[in-house]
Amino acid sequence: MIPVALVVATVAFVLIHLAPGDPASIIAGPDASADDVKKIERQLGLDQPLPVQLVHWYGRLAQGDLGHSIFLRKPVTEAIVDRVEPTLLLTVFATLISVVIGVPAGVLSARHRNSVADQAFMALALVGISIPNFLLGLLFVLVFGVWLGWFPVAGYSPLEDGLVKTARSLVMPALALGLVQSALIARIARSSMLDVLQEPFIVAGRAKGLGERVVVYKHALRNALIPTITIIGISFAILISGAVVVETVFNIPGLGRLIVSAVLRRDYPVIQGVVLCVAAVYMLANLAVDLSYLVIDPRVKYR
Amino acid sequence: MTPLARATRVIDLPRAGSGERRRAPAWLAVLARRKITLAGLVLVAVIVVVGALAPVIAGDPTTMDVAARLTRPGQAHWFGTDDVGRDVYSRVVHGARLSLIVGAAVVLLSFAGGITGGVLAGYYPALDNPIMRVMDGLMAFPAIVLAIALMASLGPSVVNVIVAIGVVYSPRVARVVRGSVLVLKETVYVEAARALGASDGSVMVRHILPNCLSPVIVQGSFVFAAAVLTEAALSFLGVGVPPYVPSWGNILSEGRLYLQQAPWLVLYPGAAIMLTILGLNLFGDGLRDLLDPKIRGLQTERQRAS
Repeated sequence: MIPVALVVATVAFVLIHLAPGDPASIIAGPDASADDVKKIERQLGLDQPLPVQLVHWYGRLAQGDLGHSIFLRKPVTEAIVDRVEPTLLLTVFATLISVVIGVPAGVLSARHRNSVADQAFMALALVGISIPNFLLGLLFVLVFGVWLGWFPVAGYSPLEDGLVKTARSLVMPALALGLVQSALIARIARSSMLDVLQEPFIVAGRAKGLGERVVVYKHALRNALIPTITIIGISFAILISGAVVVETVFNIPGLGRLIVSAVLRRDYPVIQGVVLCVAAVYMLANLAVDLSYLVIDPRVKYR
Repeated sequence: MTPLARATRVIDLPRAGSGERRRAPAWLAVLARRKITLAGLVLVAVIVVVGALAPVIAGDPTTMDVAARLTRPGQAHWFGTDDVGRDVYSRVVHGARLSLIVGAAVVLLSFAGGITGGVLAGYYPALDNPIMRVMDGLMAFPAIVLAIALMASLGPSVVNVIVAIGVVYSPRVARVVRGSVLVLKETVYVEAARALGASDGSVMVRHILPNCLSPVIVQGSFVFAAAVLTEAALSFLGVGVPPYVPSWGNILSEGRLYLQQAPWLVLYPGAAIMLTILGLNLFGDGLRDLLDPKIRGLQTERQRAS
């Protein structure tokens, strides 16, 4: 975890130096005067030697300081905190949708293998994993927003204006994200369920006369959940990056809009901050997955 | 050629030869049996043909005709026109070409990076930790976010999109390769080759590399699909290929602004993306079933059950 975090911090640092040419003049833009360039150089500490910059960077990160945005004229951490609510809510909402749809669909498909329902689910799942989430979002806007008028076409209503309004504004983006992900979860849940159903202990359970329900839901499901939990954790991580893209479809002022507008303005401190922040969430989600094995799978012990 | 080198060559030959001969019919058999894989292959083939023939079967995707802006699909413009009067059909067809170029180039680039890194990390214990920690670090970023950040530094161009997505997917290839190299390194034939005096380089390139390719090839179809998706997403966000380049993501990005007046700007490139990814996924699934012996067993078992 710690070496990975160091590499992550270094990659974020390198971003600003990857650009061909002098970073300060790129940030300042083509019409900037030499003075402006100097100012930016000093502000970002780019006038110091690289190793010194790197050590400063680690030091600042350790203190939770992500620097100042060049265009928003406020600390990057503040800019991120201002924008994190819609992204997090959207991700959580989408994860819920994907699990609630994906796991039962996968388990039912495995239990009634090769039935009409199984084939229908799996065909749908195959189409589902082939649609990019932003495309599904656009189609939702077109059908439910523009043609049917059931949901707001775009925009986000913050929590302080009431939970119902927020939920309404997030239904379509969360469905666009969640449905695509539920297809993946359903496929994994089905295949891990099929694997488990072939295990000797399942045969033994059936042989001693256990009902099919007990075999499937008590013995098989628990074991099949282990790979499924992994994929749920990974889903959360995938969905937070999916949210970054889908926010643009629905004009939701979250982290995704923040980083995209920062890219267009070459506001490197903000880009670095958002990248680090999302990577941190991603790593924590993966850590949570590893730790959850301790609870679900008694065979796993960490020393 | 030294006698020793000739000896390793003799040991090497029958293995490679017989493997080839056994594999060829299995390919055809699987394709014939699994219609769905065949369907995927046909979809991919159609897109490849459309992409390759783009200049022949479609007009210039950059010609503007402002008088005919946002025209409905019809005789003159099969897929309608966009907000500056460019023909959407030409743009979608040329977009196929761009997607294929980006996908293929990203596969090559991520294979070059991932296989090199993975083989070195798997073969030399001293390199394992440094290489894999860097790969882990790169993989700790969500793919699209890292790609966006890299694009911010590299600037918008087709080549940079390829580089950014290639960097994002190399570690994923490296992980798969390293896993199989760790196993292959301990096999008897590698030991034999080494005992016969083969150098590290020739063991890696001639004995280990060919045997770790099949899981990587399976990855290839998925990396291709991911690259097409990521390019579309980047261009949709406005941080991918420059706006004048015909790309499915760029068309969708314009389409978002004219959703009410011109839904065809979303529907046609959207369908193109979906069919491409669907084809690649179907084909990739089939390839995995073919190349992964564990799943192959499952498959025959499933057929017996049905």
